[in-house]
Amino acid sequence: MLELSAVCLRFGAKQVLHNISFSLQKGEFIGIIGPNGAGKSSLLRLIQGALSAQSGQILLKQRQLSSFATAELARTLAVVSQTAAPLFALTVEQVASMGLLPHKSWFELNSSYDSAQVRLALQKVGLAGKYSDVVDTLSGGEIQRLYIARALVQQPSLLLLDEPTNHLDVQYQHQILQLVKALGIPLLACLHDLNLAAMYCDKLLLLNQGEQVAFGSPAEVLQPQLMQQVFGLPCEIALHPRLHKLQVTFMPASLEPVC
Amino acid sequence: MLKRHYSLAMSVALLLLLFSMLLSLTLGSASLTLADIVSVLFGRPSVSPLAETIVWQIRLPRLVCAVLVGAGLAVSGAVLQNASRNPLADPYLFGLMAGAGLGATLVSVVLPPQLISLALGAFAGALFAVALVFAVCAGQHWRKVEITLLAGVAVSFMLSAISSFILYFAEPFAANRVIFWLMGSLNRTDWYSVMLLAPVVVLVLLLALALRRQLDALLLSDESARTLGVNTGRLRLILLLATALLTACIVSQCGGIAFVGLMIPHIVRHFFGVTSARLLLGCAVVGALFMIWVDNLARTVLPQQEIPLGVITSLVGSVFFLLIMRRQRL
Repeated sequence: MLELSAVCLRFGAKQVLHNISFSLQKGEFIGIIGPNGAGKSSLLRLIQGALSAQSGQILLKQRQLSSFATAELARTLAVVSQTAAPLFALTVEQVASMGLLPHKSWFELNSSYDSAQVRLALQKVGLAGKYSDVVDTLSGGEIQRLYIARALVQQPSLLLLDEPTNHLDVQYQHQILQLVKALGIPLLACLHDLNLAAMYCDKLLLLNQGEQVAFGSPAEVLQPQLMQQVFGLPCEIALHPRLHKLQVTFMPASLEPVC
Repeated sequence: MLKRHYSLAMSVALLLLLFSMLLSLTLGSASLTLADIVSVLFGRPSVSPLAETIVWQIRLPRLVCAVLVGAGLAVSGAVLQNASRNPLADPYLFGLMAGAGLGATLVSVVLPPQLISLALGAFAGALFAVALVFAVCAGQHWRKVEITLLAGVAVSFMLSAISSFILYFAEPFAANRVIFWLMGSLNRTDWYSVMLLAPVVVLVLLLALALRRQLDALLLSDESARTLGVNTGRLRLILLLATALLTACIVSQCGGIAFVGLMIPHIVRHFFGVTSARLLLGCAVVGALFMIWVDNLARTVLPQQEIPLGVITSLVGSVFFLLIMRRQRL
């Protein structure tokens, strides 16, 4: 689905990403993790086509990413990022309908099939019954689900998520990740929360200062020494006894263990 | 905004427009009834040749121009507000009015009389202002809207300063002519003005309607629009050029008519909805309706004298705008 080989990105003299290589297969959920400034969002913007790599190769569906026209790329991959509030009072249905844009020609009107697609996407993310609500009145979790619905209307083969759980409370964080995982679309997401990444991702890509530190299953990537090297804090990693998922606990020196 | 609300608003606005157009043709120093107007329009032989001349050569071209100018300014304002993500954007964003003012000043005061018409001078001046703003902004590929807006303000002040300097030393009659012209009026419009304005207004409206989905996508953010396949830089350039050309044509025919392009889109959003298709069509109808009544007022309030359109649009518009702002969020 997506394959990066030795990709490098520079902003002027500054090396932002260096020698990034990984591949995303159908049905996989890959989480990009790393500290602030590691290059996570730049990598995502590179794959969206918003930035161009200086060297290396990015293949999307076995084709060079650069060979995709803008609208064709929008039909192939959708992006859910932290979006500002609309300038005017748009409704939920109007925002979700924007996902039709890459599929429509200049004067083409929305068909009843299009409207059904929009409503189906809103139902999938649990916003049925809120079609006419103004976006400003939604909660943070609902807004994030709305942008996922808009991405679904694009009918993408790959979904990119930039910090999808930021600013959401715990309930919504799990709700959003469960929702996107259940969609059955290959996913690539930047995630800050390592425990969420361990819980939901099939593979993790660990970045630090633009370098690819590790890529593999959560068990392969979430190693105490690697975490300490990248995040600068000692940590303990344990398997949750009931969930059988890894849990990362950082232990700053200022916090003495009780026993 | 539900679909039935939009349909209702549009139906009411279209009916009002039709009624206003007919009524407007009856207003003027020569007394003509609605029946006379209908007879003239449908070519019935019972009407006097004088009535025919008044309607076909004076009132009708002026009325059609009012429709085109109102629709054009409102559509331009709506497009620019969405494209620049700035609710305070208006068609005179790029110093167009100041450029037109400088063009008119040079033609009236500096150049030999009758060399170039005032309208052509204003048109050239407006385009010169746009070219200056575009020259400043071309380097950053239209990505930073703020730079475009600031460049427009700077160009506007610069050209206004030059005009003021020239007018300060000009003989009073020429200076008055330019100042009154800048206040806006439809009394110089004729069928030639209609032929100039109609294709430009229709083409810009069609272009904006074709790009309505892209304009909607811009309402969220540039980043968001790009992920939907919108080339935001190219989209802005096309729309800014189209609206600048339209506004320059309008300014050249009837001077400066302030507030229409800023105010009408906000009123239309309130009654018709915020998505671009509804907004643009609503602006075309409500803008035309508003301009017809502003012109009717301008022609009839004072006996034997016309009030400049810009004075009425600014006065009526600002009061109405403030009232709506006070009552609810636009």
